[in-house]
Amino acid sequence: MPPSSHMLDLDLKSTISHHRLAGIWKMMKGFRLRYIGAVTSLGLSALAKTFTFLLLRYFVDTYLIQQDNRIGLPYIALGFVGLAILEGGFTFLSGVLSSQTAEGITRRLRNYLYDHIQHLSFTYHSKTKTGELIERSTSDVDALRRFFSDQATNIGRILMLFIINFVTLLNLNVKLAWVSIIVIPFILAVSIFLFKKVSSAYESYQQQEAILSTTLQENLSGVRVVKAFSRQRYEMEKFEKDNWEKYTRGKKLLIMHSLFWPVSDILCGAQLIAGYLIGAMMAINGEISVGTYLAYSGLVIYIIYPLRNLGRIIVQTSTGLVSYSRVMDIIKEKREPLDQGDYTPQSNLRGDFAFLNVGFEYEPGDQTLADINFSVKPGQVIALLGSTGSGKSTLVHLLPRFYEYTSGKILLDGVELNRYPRKFLRQQIGIVEQEPFLFSRTIRENITYGVGREVSDEEVEQAARAAAIHDVILSFQEGYQTIVGERGVTLSGGQKQRVTIARTLLKNPRILILDDSTSSVDTETEAEIREALWNLMRNRTTFIIAHRIQSVADADLILVMDKGRIIQHGRHADLINQTGVYREIFNIQARIEDELEKELASAG
Amino acid sequence: MPDNYFDEEEFETRFNGKTLSRILKLTVPHIKWVIGFLLTIAIVAGLDSIGTYLVKMVIDNGILAGDRTAVIKVLIMYGVLIFVQSGSTFLFIYLAGILGERIRYDLRKKMFNHLQALSLNYYSKTPVGWIMARVTSDSERVADLVTWGLVDSTWGLMSIVTSMVFMVAINWKLALIVLALLPVLFIIATYFQRWILASYRAVRKTNSKIVGAFNENITGVKVIKALGREPENLDEFKAITEKMYHSSFRAAWLSALFLPTVQIISALAVAAVVWYGGGQAKIGALTVGGIQAFVSYITFMMWPIQDLARVFAEMQQAIASAERMFSLIDSEPQIQDRPKAIDPGTIKGDIIFDHVTFRYEKDEKPVLNDFSLHVRRGETIALVGPTGGGKSTIINLLCRFYEPESGRIYIGGRDYTTLSLQSIQSRIGVVLQTPHLFSGSITENLRYGRLDASMEEIISATKVIGAYDFIMHFEKGFDTEVGEGGGLLSVGQKQLLSLARAVLANPEVFVMDEATSSVDTLTEALIQKGMQALLDTTTSFIIAHRLSTIKKADRILVIEDGRIAEMGTHTELLRIHGKYHQLYTQQFRSQLETAYNPFQQAATASD
Repeated sequence: MPPSSHMLDLDLKSTISHHRLAGIWKMMKGFRLRYIGAVTSLGLSALAKTFTFLLLRYFVDTYLIQQDNRIGLPYIALGFVGLAILEGGFTFLSGVLSSQTAEGITRRLRNYLYDHIQHLSFTYHSKTKTGELIERSTSDVDALRRFFSDQATNIGRILMLFIINFVTLLNLNVKLAWVSIIVIPFILAVSIFLFKKVSSAYESYQQQEAILSTTLQENLSGVRVVKAFSRQRYEMEKFEKDNWEKYTRGKKLLIMHSLFWPVSDILCGAQLIAGYLIGAMMAINGEISVGTYLAYSGLVIYIIYPLRNLGRIIVQTSTGLVSYSRVMDIIKEKREPLDQGDYTPQSNLRGDFAFLNVGFEYEPGDQTLADINFSVKPGQVIALLGSTGSGKSTLVHLLPRFYEYTSGKILLDGVELNRYPRKFLRQQIGIVEQEPFLFSRTIRENITYGVGREVSDEEVEQAARAAAIHDVILSFQEGYQTIVGERGVTLSGGQKQRVTIARTLLKNPRILILDDSTSSVDTETEAEIREALWNLMRNRTTFIIAHRIQSVADADLILVMDKGRIIQHGRHADLINQTGVYREIFNIQARIEDELEKELASAG
Repeated sequence: MPDNYFDEEEFETRFNGKTLSRILKLTVPHIKWVIGFLLTIAIVAGLDSIGTYLVKMVIDNGILAGDRTAVIKVLIMYGVLIFVQSGSTFLFIYLAGILGERIRYDLRKKMFNHLQALSLNYYSKTPVGWIMARVTSDSERVADLVTWGLVDSTWGLMSIVTSMVFMVAINWKLALIVLALLPVLFIIATYFQRWILASYRAVRKTNSKIVGAFNENITGVKVIKALGREPENLDEFKAITEKMYHSSFRAAWLSALFLPTVQIISALAVAAVVWYGGGQAKIGALTVGGIQAFVSYITFMMWPIQDLARVFAEMQQAIASAERMFSLIDSEPQIQDRPKAIDPGTIKGDIIFDHVTFRYEKDEKPVLNDFSLHVRRGETIALVGPTGGGKSTIINLLCRFYEPESGRIYIGGRDYTTLSLQSIQSRIGVVLQTPHLFSGSITENLRYGRLDASMEEIISATKVIGAYDFIMHFEKGFDTEVGEGGGLLSVGQKQLLSLARAVLANPEVFVMDEATSSVDTLTEALIQKGMQALLDTTTSFIIAHRLSTIKKADRILVIEDGRIAEMGTHTELLRIHGKYHQLYTQQFRSQLETAYNPFQQAATASD
């Protein structure tokens, strides 16, 4: 029976709780019946096992010793088979139910986390380490899955086995029952003690494994350096040291491991012998029947041995709980509401902006942007010029509401920006990044990524042509179906940029943000990208983050920024006639040409 | 080698006796441990069966006979048995475990050392991840086979055999019934284990997709937000987790079905014992204790069967692992010392490329075609030209990372293939564009250049290239940790350190491949000044974008399509108004732009 969609849509925020175990119980919502069913089935299966021993007792006492033939041999034999089928059937049912529980909860958790992460704010993502976030959403979720599939049911199983068999023993003989559990506290204590040791030895072993991997990885990726200095011997010695250390730590871990089993074997064995001795004496004295003794000697094993696993499970559960907290830390974070906003125009935006005294602080007190005032008409090009950290990027990130301005007002088409839902704004704004990010999918999928509608091949090719990337794509064996990234073709920086331009063309936004960095590509590609960009900017309000003065000369408005403020603004023609940073930069340009002339002349 | 050779993480292979015996040979150096754990595990298994027999004796000789001393005697024997067994348990876990660790250690060492000898062509066509997997997970799997695999199968076989012996001793006719069931159990168990392994493989495959999806979702979150693609992403992800749910569920119910199936079949055997044995007991051919012992032996039998089946199924994977590992160990280095290769003591002298042709892959067109060049001792040669023109290939051949396909290279008057690799490579100082540092301190990284360098020598090398100041800016100075792959330093700083490392090596030939591309202009000028003495005395090859570096070279070579397009000094080349002129004009302009850009300067200052 497949889990209903209702069960998959639980808002996990509602499961946040002060107490971790309570939180886990809440997280099991929708699967609790299955979980209880799984544990109950285990109980029933244990009960069937117990009845097998009782049947054995009947067989020995009544059939063999008292020679009572009322129930014939075939029926007793069938009874054994029947009980085995019951036992096996319930074991199987429990396995099915517990895996549905664990896998179902994990599936819901994964879906929720995935969606949650893509809805967390820009601020959260910029302050969180990527590796940490990936680690939590994969390894920690997996540890939690193991908790549900293994530890949660196993604790139930062991307790069930103990209770059922102990009650049966009490019914067989009270004295014998109590004698049989004397050693249990010791077994628990020893197993918890040793497994804690094992865990810490294991951790140190794992750490060394990580060190060894790093050494290996660095050697492999630095193979040219190793060869260039012919340091093979040195590398071998270094690896040998780490390798040997892992071997030594492995041995330590091993000693802990190999101690646990014999020590607990001796404890359990002593308990068994004591039980057998007392039981046998009672049987000889006639206090219990031979069949009872037989049933006892079988049952007692199912009380003692499962309990030595309990220690291991308890230690493992504590790691599961740590993972739970680490996952919940992410879930506790606030989502960025994409639909929040009361103004959604029916038609496309015109793209006219007014910034009135806009300011922004990441954290109270640090002024990243202040006193930003300017206005833009639809279709104009605005260039932002300034050093790293001058606030250019932050300013354009206010437009799609990646960040919310903290003072002043931004009007878009006459309406305050924060009244537009984020989703709508982001549909209307296209961004071409300085370091373009492609997904490891086909080129076609990368171009149509985020368009949100079916796109014909003609349209894709048209966009690729306008972005001057069509020919490059065709030069690959698989054409548009070529997979990019680690598992496929590696594209150069310029090629990646043109793929993102094609993607943005296809999206056809009203407003554009370009992070214009062509510094990393050679002159030929730069010309091609420039052409592609012109195609893109036609009829769109465009914000360009510029790094060099050549790319701003044609802009309708140039904003020169420094320390979060606009220090100069105007058109190129106006700015070169003012004293200020802009003119200085421009003058340098002229000086460069002069110097070049001189340099070449000196040679000739 | 099939196309998907590097893709397929876990493929199975047909049973291969040769590989298996090669795997078993790995244990030969540690045969003491092998004998030790095989012996102890056999003892453990044998004692298990005896224990069950002792329990029978408690019933038959003790309780039914009403003999208290017999009970005590038997139980004392049982106690001794448990002690011996516990001791053996400790020994077999410890010995098998230590053998496992040792074999892992041996395999890793063998592979690592062999990897050091392999040539660059092996590395260029083998992904690092693939090699890592061989050294880490494959060695693990093979070691598991020769330790726990052996332990489990010895224990399983021994348990079955000794149980059978006791059963035959108690009642041979009944024992035959049980014996008949064994093959059935074993076949069923083997099939199950295979299905279970295959289904877990499917789970792992889907799991790596989930990890990949999270990875992209997190690293690409900015783009996803900008494009508003959250809903589609979630739909795609839900499809993966749905698949994950189904494959995990399949794996789980298959595993859950296995034990009950075996249990039910064992129950048939128990029923047979009761049916037949009940009749026998009536006529006195079977005791109560005997029946109890039979029931115990049969119920217990499913564990060894399960273990044997699992080992059998896992063995195929381990053999596949071993085959890949052995393929690594067996691959021959493409470039090795020729027999009678010599170390001439020095490689100072002219360097001659004599009609050299070279290609990286057989079916590609040559990167260098009939290339000839005579470099005089002490000359500084600058190589310029478009990416892919062949500049780096010239360097690769010079350092003998690769050897010419045809033609010869002479160093100091000798064909360099007559020299040992060590004698050439230890005397050429190479600085690469992507500087590679190792985890450890700055000192340790610099000392890589010369292992016995004194602290004074290290300091003076960093002063030569102008790295001393930034190093002293760190709180811990030369003891600063550079992080994994040098990750805690900027690219520019890494380049300076790798330059200093090469200077420290005191090379006779110096090679710089875009060695200073990421340092600022001012530092570049300092490096120039500091290194002038070194460049004057050694034969040097420089690939650079920086004009100041190139301008001072004795000769500039414009390399295009694997040939020398233009050659001469800076002034000569500018005069002919050819490719160099064009290149120079372009770079001069952009270099000045960067140099004069006040924003750029502001950015560097704030770093």
